[in-house]
Amino acid sequence: MRTLRQLALPLALIVLWEILVALSGSPRAPRPSTTALKAVEMLADGTLLAALATSLGRVFGGFVLATLLAVPLGLAMGTLPVVERNLDPLVESFRPIAAIAILPLVILWIGTGNLAAVTIVAYAAFFPILINTIAGVKRIDRSLIRAARTMGISPLTRLRTVVLPAALPSILVGMRIGLGIAWTAIIAAELAVGAKAGTSGGIGQMMFVFYAYSIQLSGIVVCMAAVGLVAMLLDRGLRALLARAFPWSHP
Amino acid sequence: MMTVPNEPKIRLEHVGKMFDSFVALDDLSLDIRPGEFLAIVGPSGSGKTTVLNMLAGLDRQSSGTILLDGKPIAGPGPDRGVMFQDYALFPWQTVRGNVGFGLTHGPAGAGLDRAAREARVARVIDLVNLGGAEERYPHQLSGGMRQRVALGRLIANEPEVLLMDEPLAALDAQTRLVLQDEILRIWRQDQPAAERRTVVFITHGIDEAVYLADRVVVLGSRPGRLKAIVDVDLPRPRNEATRATAAFADLSRSIWELIRDEAIRATVE
Repeated sequence: MRTLRQLALPLALIVLWEILVALSGSPRAPRPSTTALKAVEMLADGTLLAALATSLGRVFGGFVLATLLAVPLGLAMGTLPVVERNLDPLVESFRPIAAIAILPLVILWIGTGNLAAVTIVAYAAFFPILINTIAGVKRIDRSLIRAARTMGISPLTRLRTVVLPAALPSILVGMRIGLGIAWTAIIAAELAVGAKAGTSGGIGQMMFVFYAYSIQLSGIVVCMAAVGLVAMLLDRGLRALLARAFPWSHP
Repeated sequence: MMTVPNEPKIRLEHVGKMFDSFVALDDLSLDIRPGEFLAIVGPSGSGKTTVLNMLAGLDRQSSGTILLDGKPIAGPGPDRGVMFQDYALFPWQTVRGNVGFGLTHGPAGAGLDRAAREARVARVIDLVNLGGAEERYPHQLSGGMRQRVALGRLIANEPEVLLMDEPLAALDAQTRLVLQDEILRIWRQDQPAAERRTVVFITHGIDEAVYLADRVVVLGSRPGRLKAIVDVDLPRPRNEATRATAAFADLSRSIWELIRDEAIRATVE
């Protein structure tokens, strides 16, 4: 019953879409029916899944890289005021620069291959993870640190056994946001790099090819739907994974 | 570490503590004997927690000296354990992980192999009656159970001095009575004094202080200062019958009279 109600709105929108296209009389406008056929075709020949796999591989690469850089740096900035004072201006001046804005430099220096895509993703995911790690460290219940101190536990051990786990819920929120942003950034990057033609692959470039080299608007719609669906699955998947791995942070 | 009889375990000499220009504690001198159960009572603002934090090494006195076994306290150490008012349990650790935290990650577990540590944790969990709850997380426990975990974490490290900051304040009346008896049992009130650990116990409850302690230190407020030290000469082991005696009531009343005026003033301010 609940799934039925959840499906009601999307179904109504699809019906509305079909009606609007019929009313417009445009022969090239994608209809739900032509889009569905196109989706089946793209699934059957494997091109859609291959493109998604390419994009996902880059996103995971960049995401892991961003996490490995941002979490230690965030821990250092959150615990050591001297580190934060010196790095905060730098972080705050780079943070508003969108990942897509550094694309020209990345293409110039690194090219249009996987490494360039991973760099864009890592840059995009880096800031939310860093900011949430710092905030998480600063919000730690001070009495937990005091409790560890009274047990004579050394500062370095405290970092690993108290600060990191106490900040983990906030770090995980940053990772979720970072993964979402990484996924949007890779699509945008591949779309832009796609202009340089055929070698880079990925779902973003697939969209660009549909746009530039064919009149298959339904193909673009299939890509859009796939991007949205994957974003949702990524978030759900990460949430489920984290809830399993850290049961205490999801009481 | 061996303690020489008749030497104080802890000695405070003219200890004062200021926060900016606010005097939290003024000129406190006090000897705490080895194996003694010392309670500190006083109204809000009497510097009770300040004293405890200085004994723990978390805070430094502004004036005077604090000696532990004759040596100045320089910081926190595994020879002293603290039980905090707000439990301060690690939410990502199970009951077992919390109780064994100091043994696993701190100096208290040095020289113990894994099996010895696990055996001690199991024994302590038994001692504080948490058997069966080993794998549960703090958020899955009641207030009384959390307090038992905090108590277990404290005693698992086997510190020579137990510093307890209103450990039972957050509990309902029945649970508090039960845990008072457990604290006495764990402190080994049925053993000779040489077998016991030294306890400094901060509380708002006068009855609680009289029931538990060998001596009750009464602090006054604004600034925090020593008002009186009351000897509690009730026989041990104490139990429910102790609470019904005339001596118990007399002691409670005389301590209440010492702090009544300030306690009343604290409620209207």
